[in-house]
Formats: sequence, structure tokens, C-alpha cells
Amino acid sequence: MAFDSGDFMNIRYQQIQGNSLGFYTLIAGLGVFILAALGAFYYMEYQGHWVTGMNNRIVWGMPHVFALFLIVAASGALNVASIASIFNKKIYQSLSRLSGLVALALLAGGLMVLVLDLGRPDRLIVAMTKYNFKSIFAWNIILYNGFFVIVGVYLWMMFERRMNKFSTKVGLIAFSWRLILTTGTGSIFGLLVARHTYDAMIMAPQFIVMSFSFGLAFYLLILMASYKWTNRELGDVIINRLRSLLGVFVAAVLYFVAVFHIGNIYLAENNNVATLLFSTDSIYTNLFWYGQIILGSIVPLALIYHPVFKQSNSMLGLASVLVIVGGLVQMYVLIIGGQAYPLEIFLDKEILEGYGGVIVYTPSLAETTLGVGGVALALIAIVFLLKFLPFLPESLSNKVADPHYKR
Amino acid sequence: MYHWPIIFLNLLLATTLAYATEQTSLGDEARMIQASGKKHHGSESLIRKMHPEFLLHKRDRTSREGVRTKKHSLKNCVYCHANKDKKTNQYYSVNKSGQFCSVCHQKVSVSIDCFACHRNTPSKGANNAQ
Amino acid sequence: MHNKLNRRDFIKTTSITSLSVATIASGITLTTFAQRKNPVTNAKRWGMLVDTNKLTETDIDSMVDACQKEQGWGGEKYSIGNQKPTWIRKLKVKDKATGKISNLPLMCQHCEHPPCVDVCPTNASMRREDGIVLVDKHLCIGCRYCMMACPYDARSFVHENLTEQKEHMPRGKGTVESCTLCVHKVDNGEQPACVVRVNSEAVIFGDLYDPNSKINQTLKKIQSTQIRADLNLNTGVRYSGI
Repeated sequence: MAFDSGDFMNIRYQQIQGNSLGFYTLIAGLGVFILAALGAFYYMEYQGHWVTGMNNRIVWGMPHVFALFLIVAASGALNVASIASIFNKKIYQSLSRLSGLVALALLAGGLMVLVLDLGRPDRLIVAMTKYNFKSIFAWNIILYNGFFVIVGVYLWMMFERRMNKFSTKVGLIAFSWRLILTTGTGSIFGLLVARHTYDAMIMAPQFIVMSFSFGLAFYLLILMASYKWTNRELGDVIINRLRSLLGVFVAAVLYFVAVFHIGNIYLAENNNVATLLFSTDSIYTNLFWYGQIILGSIVPLALIYHPVFKQSNSMLGLASVLVIVGGLVQMYVLIIGGQAYPLEIFLDKEILEGYGGVIVYTPSLAETTLGVGGVALALIAIVFLLKFLPFLPESLSNKVADPHYKR
Repeated sequence: MYHWPIIFLNLLLATTLAYATEQTSLGDEARMIQASGKKHHGSESLIRKMHPEFLLHKRDRTSREGVRTKKHSLKNCVYCHANKDKKTNQYYSVNKSGQFCSVCHQKVSVSIDCFACHRNTPSKGANNAQ
Repeated sequence: MHNKLNRRDFIKTTSITSLSVATIASGITLTTFAQRKNPVTNAKRWGMLVDTNKLTETDIDSMVDACQKEQGWGGEKYSIGNQKPTWIRKLKVKDKATGKISNLPLMCQHCEHPPCVDVCPTNASMRREDGIVLVDKHLCIGCRYCMMACPYDARSFVHENLTEQKEHMPRGKGTVESCTLCVHKVDNGEQPACVVRVNSEAVIFGDLYDPNSKINQTLKKIQSTQIRADLNLNTGVRYSGI
């Protein structure tokens, strides 16, 4: 039996057995999605992007929605570990290893989608060797690569007993790095001065808060699923901590969304766009209100805080699923909706002919399959690594989580 | 140790065959230049070995700095080294299997990226390469 | 007489003059015939002035047509709707205050501070020393960030496989493209195809820095604007009459 001790003597980590029928079914199921995604990639690459719903107005489509969602969630998934290292919260320390794993896996999934949607993915080597340091995108490439290295080292510090003493310091570096990384991801949009629908540096902190929320939702689901499916004990102490944390994060995202849009409405130059997003019945308006706000924020908040659901783990699971779905919708509204409205090429003129109109984007099956494949890749990586390395504590019962716990 | 002579013979055979195919796939214009005894560019072995560097250097000079000389221009390579289908009087693509570029490139398994964007036949009106 | 001097004649005259000057003062290197051998420099800044009052809708259509013929875009087989490339488009605009309707061609504005160049991760999107903004397709990975950044929606992504490209204008699937200001002609001392086609005072092409150039002299005389001047991009393409 492979195990080693964490910072507490009473925490023992152990791999999942991974030899049940359920385990192999899960691997096979995820494998099918990944193969489908690779097939979709080959098809789009061989034919060219004309087989997608993307065009010269909607230049970033469904793959970017998934890719950026996963990248944002990845940095957020590291939060649990950061809380443990930086604020020295013992209760989170037992959860740190999984946190690092989920972060790396989600980032890998997101980057796969991002790269496979390039016009020339065969030139990835160019992207890795030619840097334009004025470009936020180039910085992001460096930040993503660095994230892999730093979180990898962080995991090593946590796994290797002799290195445990450094884990706090490396954790601090990892936390700073992930903040910079998400700032970079948000700046991809925030620095687009030409587009009224973006062009706001509030997008950087907004992306950070979004990452807290999406990442924790992913983390919670994976934590709950792995403990349930391996019949390990997961006590209320930990679940309730994470539950209230998720509630705070979801509310914070809502706050940032409100500030962002109020800012847009107030600025006269953005009036047209704001009106379009809020008072027309375009698909983006509906997605925003029903998908992002109601389904992705209000309902999860109710599930987290309402006394009726508060004791139920499955309701917390449902809330996490809704946060993820709502997050994807939010990315869709942000990325696709932001491009769907025409650029304001003339500030004092109205364009009568030749350019304009709200673009209706219909994602093709191939694009969506590629995006879903990114999620599947992240999950399969997590499932496999849980089998081969001891990421999960044998038990997270209330007594393990909090030695002073009294019923 | 018996495999060494086999490898050697194979290489010898491959080189001879490659030379033969190379002659037929040399390109109409290039064959004429060769027959006339003129030299259009430096030694073949130099071009064979160095053409990636030449093209790479030239591409940056042209597309980024606006230097438009004939030397090492891809357009010129295509112009001389393309073969015509005698029946239809149409040019074969230089990177088509069995044509000038592919004869070697297939042998060494190096894919050519030039013709994803560059035209792989001389254009119709081209009578003097620029 | 001086006004009727077209660019070709102008180049002939200057090259003869500069040749003779060069023989006397060997310090001068920027003669016309040497242009193609030496890298372009920032001594020049190519620009275009479009006078919308003199330009008819038919003129703009023929500019678009000239561009398609010269550069070989528009014949894509599979791309539909907005997937089709648009290097230059005809716009009909109405002034919000006066209600004046004008027509104008809109293409890459060849900014001095181009947002597309700033955002490009691989330096594929670039600005030549003489002010022409291009995509170096050898480096383009097809990320489309430049298309997100361009304030004029002037760039197109090639959505399908292409063959039979123009020899002077390589274009290929998965890379981004836009107006090159007919750089291949400009480097040979010629004018862009759209300018040649319109063949009138309505569109002037030339070196913005050269005090003897027609564009420089006209810009000094008349009122002209840059589109999205609020972004301070200092565009090479200027408009008058809007």
C-alpha cells in the first residue's frame, strides 16, 4: 500500500484502486469523447475553417469558449492549495494535491482545444519560438508554460516529504503566478481597444473572480465524485467550508458582471452595445439572462444558501454543475456575443450598407465536439493520475479534517 | 556485420534511381538551360544542401524588407523546375508526387510547407521569370 | 504641366536626376533602381488619400474588382457569407448630424501604430519600415487575434484550401490576409491596382513624407480625416469629404 504522510501525521494519501468496471467504463467513455474531438480536429483542419460556423466576423467560436473556460477554471482550481499554503489553513492542506492536479489537467484540456483550433496548428513551434513581447497572447503562452512548471514543482514539494517544508513558499509563487496568468487571460479581451464590447481592464479582475468560481465548482465535483465512487469518507466539515466558499465566489462574479455592465451602460460610447445586449431579444440577451444570470448564478446561490438544500451534498453537486454550465454560457456571451455586434467604425456616422448587423453564429458539431473533447481530456488525465499517484487522502472524515471537531 | 554492404548497396541503388528520376523531373525550362550548357545558379550540390537556408533567408528579405531580386526567388524555382503534361499542355504542380520537389522530399520524408500559400505552377502568362 | 506628371514619369525624371547626382555625389543610395535590392527604409511612408466627393459608387466597385483581379481573392469555392475574404469593401455611410450620405472604400488603413501588430504573438503581423502593414504568412499560426484587434475589420481569414494563387500574392488556408497596398507593385515603382483602376484625382497614392509628392501637397491644402482618429493610430489611408 503506497502512502505517505502530509503535514499532519494523521493524513494518509492513497491512490484509487482503479480496477472496477465503473473505472474502465469512465475511461472508455471519456476516451470516446477525446477520439471524437481528434476526428473533429482532423476534419476541420483538412477542410479548413469553412466547415465551422466561424467566419471573418465571428473569428473565435465554440472552441475558444471551451478553451478559455478551461484555462480560467484551471487557475481557479489551484485556489484550494493556495488557501492551504498561503493562509496556512490546515483544513485545506489535505486537499492541496488534488487541487494542483485539477489545475494542471484543466489547463492541458484548454490548451489542447486552443491549439487545435489554430489555422495552422502545425506551426505550434513558431508560437513557441517567436515571441512578440508587446502581445498579450505571447505573454499568455509563456504564462501557461510557466504554470505547468510551477504547479509541477509545487506538487513535487507536496508529495516529497523532505520537500514539504518548501511547499508554502512554492505555493506562494504558484498563487502569484496564477493571478498573473488570469490577469493575462482577461487582458486578451480587456486590451482590445477597438472593440467597445471588450476594452475594459475590469476584465482582468473579473476573470480572476470567475476563475475562483469555475475552478472551485470543478474541484468540488471531482472531489465529491472520487470519494463517492471509491467509498471513501468525505465529512461535512470540508464540504461545508467549500460550499460557503463557492457561494461567496459565485456572488462575487455576479458583482463583477454587474459593475462591468453598469460601466458600459454609463459610458455613452458603449450605449449601443449595451442596449443591444440588454433590451433586444437576440440569442445573446436570452443566454445572458436565463443562462448566465438565472441558471448559472441565482439558482446555484439558492442551492448553496437556502436552508432546505443546505444539508444536501447532491444539491451542492447540482449547484457546481450549474456554475460550470453558467460559466460556459458566460464565456459564450462574452466571446461570441462580444464579436456578434458590429464594430463602431465611425463614431459620428451610421453605416447604411456594406458592413454591420448582428451576426448569428451557429456552431458546427465539429467545433463543439472539439471543445467537449478538451473537458474529456482534463477529466481522463485526472482519473488516470488518481490511479497512479496518491493524490487523495484515504479519508476526509470530519475527524481527519479537523482534529478538534466535536459532533 | 552483413547488413553494412546491404545498406551500402541500397544507398547506391537509391542514389542512382534518384538521379534517373531527377533527370526526368528536372523541369522543362531547367532541362533546356542544362542542354544549352548555361548555368542558372550555383552548383547543384550547393543548392541541394542549402536551398532551405537560401529560401528562408530570401523569404524574410522579401516579405519583411521588400527586397525583390531574382536570386533565390521561389517563383524562379517553380518557373524552371515545373514540367508540362505533353498531352494537355498543362503544368504539373512542382510538389506533385514524382515531380521536381517531391522526388527528394518524399525520399527523405520532409514535408514542404511552401505551397500551402505559394503557387505551385508557373502562371499562364509567365514567359520570363522574375 | 506639373500636375499632369504621373508617377511613372515622375520616377523616370527623378531616377535620371538622381543617377546624375549619384555620379557626382556618391553618397546618395536611394535611387529608384536600387529600391528592390535594398531593404525599404523609414525615409518613406506610403499613404493614400481618398476623396469621397469625387468617387462614385461605380468607382468603388471597380476598385474592389481591381483588387480581386490583382490579388486573386473572391473566387473561393466553399466559403460562404462572412467567410469570404474582403480585402476592400464599399461602405455607404450617413452622417448622424447632417444626414449627408457618402460612399467610401474601406480597407486596411496601414496604421503607424497598428493594433494588429501589437497583438500578434509571433510577429507575423508586421509593419514595414515604409509604413505598409502586412501579414508575414510564413509566421502566421492562424490565431486570429489580429482580426479581433483591428478597428476596421479589415482582415480576412482563409477558410479553405487554395490553388492557382497569383505568383506575387501567396495566400493559403489557415492564415490571415488583408490589403497589402499592392506592395509587390509599389516595390517596383508602380501604384496599387485600385488606384490605377480609378485613374482620377479621387484616389491619390504616394509618399506622405515627400514634400514634392502629390499626396503630401494635397494633404497640406485640403481638410482630411482618419477613420477612428480617436484611437491615435495615425493611419496611412486618409479620407476627405466625409
